[in-house]
Amino acid sequence: MILIRCPWCGPRDAGEFHYSGEARPRPDPASASPLQWREYLYFPANPRGEVTETWYHRMGCRQFFALERDTDTNESRLPGGPR
Amino acid sequence: MRLGPQPGEEIDRERSFTFRWNGADVQAYEGDTIVSALAASGRRVFSRSYKYHRPRGLLTASYHDPGCFFQVGDEPNVRGAHRLAEPGLDVRSQNTWPSLEFDVKAVNQLVGRFLGPGFYYKTFIKPQRLWPLYEQVLQRFVHAGHVSADTPRVAVDKRHAHPDVLVAGGGPAGLAAAVAAAQAGARVMLIEEEHRLGGHLRWGDATDLAALAELRDLVAATPGIEVHVNAVVSGRYDGNWTAVVLRDLPSGLPGGTRVEQLIKARAKVLVVAPGLIERPYVFAGNDVPGVMLSTAVRRLIRLHAVKPGERAVVLAANADGDAAVADLRQAGVEVARVLDARAGQDILRVRGRKGVQAVQAADGTTTECDLLVTATGWTAPASLLSMAGDRPAYDPRAARFFPSSLPEDVLATGGLAGDGSLDQLIAHAQATGREAARRAARLRREWQAAVPTRGHANGALLAGHRLAGHGLADHKLADDPLLADDGPVAIPELPVDEHPELFRARTHGIVDYCEDVSSKDLIAAVREGYDSIELAKRYTTATMGPTQGKIELVNAIATVAEATGRTIAETGTTTWRPPYAPVTLGALAGRPLEPVRYSPMQPWHEAHHASPLIAGAWIRPDHYGDPAAEVRNVRSKVGIIDVTPIGKLDLRGPDVPRLLNLVYVNKWSKLDIGRVRYGVMCTEDGVVFDDGVTGRLGPEHYLMSTTSSGASAVWEWLENVLQTMHPDWQVHITPVTTAYASINVAGPAARDLIGRVTRGVDLANEAFGYMEVRTGQVAGVDESVLWRIGFTGELSYELHVPAAYGLHVWETLMDRGRDLGVAPFGVEAQRILRLEKGHLIVGQDTDGLTRGFSAGLDWAIKLDKADFLGKPELAWQHDVENGSGSRLVGLQPEDGSLVPPEASQIVDGPRIVGRVTSSRMSPTLGRSICLAQVEAALAAPGTRVTVRLPGGRLVGARVTEHLAHVDPEGSRLRV
Amino acid sequence: MPGRNTVEAVRPASRPRPRRPAKYSALALLRHGLSGRDWPRAWPENPLRGRYDVVIVGGGVHGLATAYYLAVNHGITDVAVLDQGYIGGGGSGRSTAILRSNYLTPEGVRFYDRSMQLYRTLAADLDYNVMFSRRGHLTLAHNDSSLRTMRWRAEVNQLEGVDSQLIDPAEIKRLVPFLDVSADTRYPILGALYHPPGGIIRHDAVVWGYARAAAAQGVHIHQDTEVTGIDVAQGRVRGVRTTRGDIAAPVVLNATAGWSTLIAAMAGVRLPIQTFPLQAAVTEPVRPFLHSVVVSGTLHVYVSQTDRGELVFGASVDPFAAYSTRGTLEFAEGLATHVIELMPGLSKMRLLRQWSGLCDMTPDFSPIMGGTEVEGFYVDVGWGTYGFKAGPVSGEAMARCIADGRAPEIIEAFGLSRFGAGELVGEKGAAAVGH
Repeated sequence: MILIRCPWCGPRDAGEFHYSGEARPRPDPASASPLQWREYLYFPANPRGEVTETWYHRMGCRQFFALERDTDTNESRLPGGPR
Repeated sequence: MRLGPQPGEEIDRERSFTFRWNGADVQAYEGDTIVSALAASGRRVFSRSYKYHRPRGLLTASYHDPGCFFQVGDEPNVRGAHRLAEPGLDVRSQNTWPSLEFDVKAVNQLVGRFLGPGFYYKTFIKPQRLWPLYEQVLQRFVHAGHVSADTPRVAVDKRHAHPDVLVAGGGPAGLAAAVAAAQAGARVMLIEEEHRLGGHLRWGDATDLAALAELRDLVAATPGIEVHVNAVVSGRYDGNWTAVVLRDLPSGLPGGTRVEQLIKARAKVLVVAPGLIERPYVFAGNDVPGVMLSTAVRRLIRLHAVKPGERAVVLAANADGDAAVADLRQAGVEVARVLDARAGQDILRVRGRKGVQAVQAADGTTTECDLLVTATGWTAPASLLSMAGDRPAYDPRAARFFPSSLPEDVLATGGLAGDGSLDQLIAHAQATGREAARRAARLRREWQAAVPTRGHANGALLAGHRLAGHGLADHKLADDPLLADDGPVAIPELPVDEHPELFRARTHGIVDYCEDVSSKDLIAAVREGYDSIELAKRYTTATMGPTQGKIELVNAIATVAEATGRTIAETGTTTWRPPYAPVTLGALAGRPLEPVRYSPMQPWHEAHHASPLIAGAWIRPDHYGDPAAEVRNVRSKVGIIDVTPIGKLDLRGPDVPRLLNLVYVNKWSKLDIGRVRYGVMCTEDGVVFDDGVTGRLGPEHYLMSTTSSGASAVWEWLENVLQTMHPDWQVHITPVTTAYASINVAGPAARDLIGRVTRGVDLANEAFGYMEVRTGQVAGVDESVLWRIGFTGELSYELHVPAAYGLHVWETLMDRGRDLGVAPFGVEAQRILRLEKGHLIVGQDTDGLTRGFSAGLDWAIKLDKADFLGKPELAWQHDVENGSGSRLVGLQPEDGSLVPPEASQIVDGPRIVGRVTSSRMSPTLGRSICLAQVEAALAAPGTRVTVRLPGGRLVGARVTEHLAHVDPEGSRLRV
Repeated sequence: MPGRNTVEAVRPASRPRPRRPAKYSALALLRHGLSGRDWPRAWPENPLRGRYDVVIVGGGVHGLATAYYLAVNHGITDVAVLDQGYIGGGGSGRSTAILRSNYLTPEGVRFYDRSMQLYRTLAADLDYNVMFSRRGHLTLAHNDSSLRTMRWRAEVNQLEGVDSQLIDPAEIKRLVPFLDVSADTRYPILGALYHPPGGIIRHDAVVWGYARAAAAQGVHIHQDTEVTGIDVAQGRVRGVRTTRGDIAAPVVLNATAGWSTLIAAMAGVRLPIQTFPLQAAVTEPVRPFLHSVVVSGTLHVYVSQTDRGELVFGASVDPFAAYSTRGTLEFAEGLATHVIELMPGLSKMRLLRQWSGLCDMTPDFSPIMGGTEVEGFYVDVGWGTYGFKAGPVSGEAMARCIADGRAPEIIEAFGLSRFGAGELVGEKGAAAVGH
């Protein structure tokens, strides 16, 4: 079980969290074309390496936060923080 | 034959007992393994090999001994050379018929030349219909024990541990490292696979035994070391999350069955000190009983006082081979010949079938003997290192693999790291232990520093920011004075001894004993094109058996290298995977801990014979004996149902209407205090994901209900919106699903009943209308919430009372409504009632792809709202699908007595055009009623469709005017 | 986004066909055994040419099947299959190899059933015993909603002529005596979708069989050849760059799993894929006792027993996206918990090895097949947790797609353009612990 660093609770077992997916900018639904909207809905970056994503500390402080994780090694850090 | 007392022997001659081996009694001492006792009794043949059913004996006398897997009681595949003998054990050889001595399948040996590697891929291709028969034959050869459906399950609690330093291996290096780490202040866990600490020192000479005693005493005297023997670190996972398995624990069950326990250890630093595993040599006859490794004979002699044979030949390539010669002589075994591989001597083949009879050396001479001992090299057990991401590198000078790039939190010591004298190994291990402790301490400080809501040593308390990272960006741990220490401990380098590369003699022999794969097989596979180690492995199944490569991988690599003309380094290895040693499913499962949720009224339901329904984590009353009667009672008198599992969220703050407007498809800006509205939520792709009602209790106070199964998902969804999209909105959410007990009181007499128990609320229709909410005192309970909603289609009040009073309120209602005909109704009756009213159930009448319009929710979807989640897709769907897609409709079978099973398909000839999503017999109408998804073209009221019943019969049904089959105007709700 | 690509350069080869390798049979076994002669290579080693008519990236079952059908069905043999490692080393080598066609949508059923049809005769067609063992496949339902979905699948299957039916706990117990079908369990079994034609197969043999048969037709198989770039100019693919040299090709097929996003990106094509590990595990062998394949969606676990006696387990994908094939302890724990819940007698069985493969998950649990906006660049990706069973039909369909320059009807619904159009396919109900 990897450790996830919650910004408020510190490093905790990944089982306490819910993975909420890649953090991607949401286009303005009012002005986005169907193609742009669906690119947002369906086309993640899916990199092999560092990605910024959102996690939810479901069994802890219940905050959503951003995390930078390496999808190869599963090492992670808070943006700007240490591994 | 049993020898006289040996220094360092581990048997207790005062404690003698018998166990049964294939039905016969065998004498043993406490401390004997099953196999050492069998060997002491003079037995040599313990099993038959997988494919050819060749007789097999003991080879390594350790856990991995491939010829020593036995059935012990109801436990299959027991490692007989590791498991301690116990009084009364019932031990049997596996897969031998009619007996171990005379095994019919040994006839395979005669046809061996035709059964080359992968022979089954080349045959039984035609006729295909005979394949099942052939499979049955193949299955008969499964070389294993058996399981029984009646094996009782013993639940052993798992444990969590947080050692600073986890030392895998209790030989001299592991012991020294553990002591050094503990002395440096670390909390240490020491895990040793064998039954005692000491590693190879246990069967060493007097110096070794003395060193062992000293180390053992030191471990015992040093505080802070938790020691487990007969345990193994079976896996190292990301983040140094390690699995430690304690074996052979007493279960408390009769019959002495043993169980394992799993410890999950978050080790800050892992020190891997597993020693080295001796490797067999490949030559003709290398699997004949009586061929043993040097460590095997030394164990037998020294630990168990067993004479391994009468007359031996020894092939020695290293000092351990020499030591084995000395031990054999000391045990009274005649050492007829010593072949020194360092001087170029070699063996050619062993003669004998059920036992060694003679050894032919490479120089042509033949020596009669009953024991051949080989000491041809060592294999590094690199599994844990590989699991940590290391790719061990092969050193041809030393003829073994070494670690090459370990992560920060893993260290290797002992034989894995190098050779040298005992003192050198211990010095290396001590330095390793100290360094491990240093790294662990640093990590501990770093983790503690990473908890900003705790007080810092420097006094600063970091405030939590939303979408953080901000606080920590200023806090560079690398420069933190708190984390500084004295710098890395210098670990002296260990010398690496030269060792001849000895893998195969000039003849062919067995490489994988478990899978019965020979060097000839591997070479043939390579020649056929399966010429990488991975392909050769998969084609021949070498290393795919229970030993998983520990004693055979390097020989397999060497053989493939030889056949391809590449070096061992170029050939590479297969991947080591967890578990290092097999772990029982029971240990991994531990105690079942799946919580179950009950409402506070559950005791009442049980006492009144409610039939339980498992709805996710909740147990709910499905019905109380007669759901149809329950339905009729609700329509004519009054019924009460326990709806506590309904998801409930308490929302407070000035921005709640903005939140509701965003997450629901309909409009929520103007919901007056005291009013309730039905809402549907869609995800961003327009798919319906939950529905419920939300009521406004006060100026900035709302109560939202969701489906029972969606409760936590909706809560997370709302938090996601608030925290990531609109952190500027002021809304606070408290989940109150279990804080409230919820009861729905429904039926024409509902107002009468509620009136009898409620104070502080004017219940007249003009004062408290449909889709409105009030708070008051119910059955003496203040702060109860009542709202009028209409899932069942009758006049109904849904009560939410603080959960501790749930049972009291329920009983009060049942008591005070007796003359009104009050009766409980369950989930089944509720389903029928809501179906009569055409109310959809998300997930049943909609599916994972149903967008809002297909769910018949046109009236709810307000495309003229600025933004709501799902709007873009719904808008586009609306444009595109006016005429296409599918729709939710009400349906009535032409034959009212026929209730089509839910999921019956609606067909047009061979084409599927829809399906029945909900279906019941309506007690109110006395006929069957349905909801269905049909193609838009068939959705017009009055359309006749064809329903295919399971079994194939086709029946007609008509689309109804409204989704509701009863009271479509909804007048009964609004009285 | 086009599905139409005219590929003028792909024509049947006019070179003579190379000799087929020696036929496999019991008689041949006897001959070789008596003479002691070596068997010839299953697929020859060839030099890497600078140009091929078709380059297939990915030497797993999909890539090799496509190569085979290109040659055998369309006479297109100037084909190279490239794999970064050994063939079948990706998903095909990690798959738990369960075959079935009991899907939810009519299109899905037809698609996977075509694959079953091909699998049934594959051993004879390829002259390689792939050991397809028809065991019967059970998908257990533990609640009403699940039971309803099982019935839905049974009905659709029957309408498509596929043998599936809903059975009750008594019948389930008869088929799998080790299952606990009592009402005392945490999630009692209410029924199951029983699909007699389903079974298991030796996954490596399927890969090797296709490789051998394709090579016999002249297809070149290049292992240890990693694609490092794809050359695109004026909206058409021109070739690939590899660790062993550059190859010019007018047609390039991305038939990878785990790497598909990265390969497609080399051609400038974006895919709606997120990669998740899917873990599996195997126990030590025990005497055969489980003859069916058993799947439980609620408990997120499935199990079968091989002819070697090992139990093979799997579950759903990991909870977060990753490119790791390392496996986790929590997977093994969850698996053991649920397996013992289903079959309490198994607590003494030992887990021998755990591994994982990479699953490319799409938003609608269906693959992506056909052309892309880059002419000549095709994809056969997005296979999630259900790729192995579709190997043959995918190979057949992609071969046709490449030969004709447009997607055949059987895979029309799987085009990449469906996401831009918002027209997702509906297999979520059948693919959730899809095995």
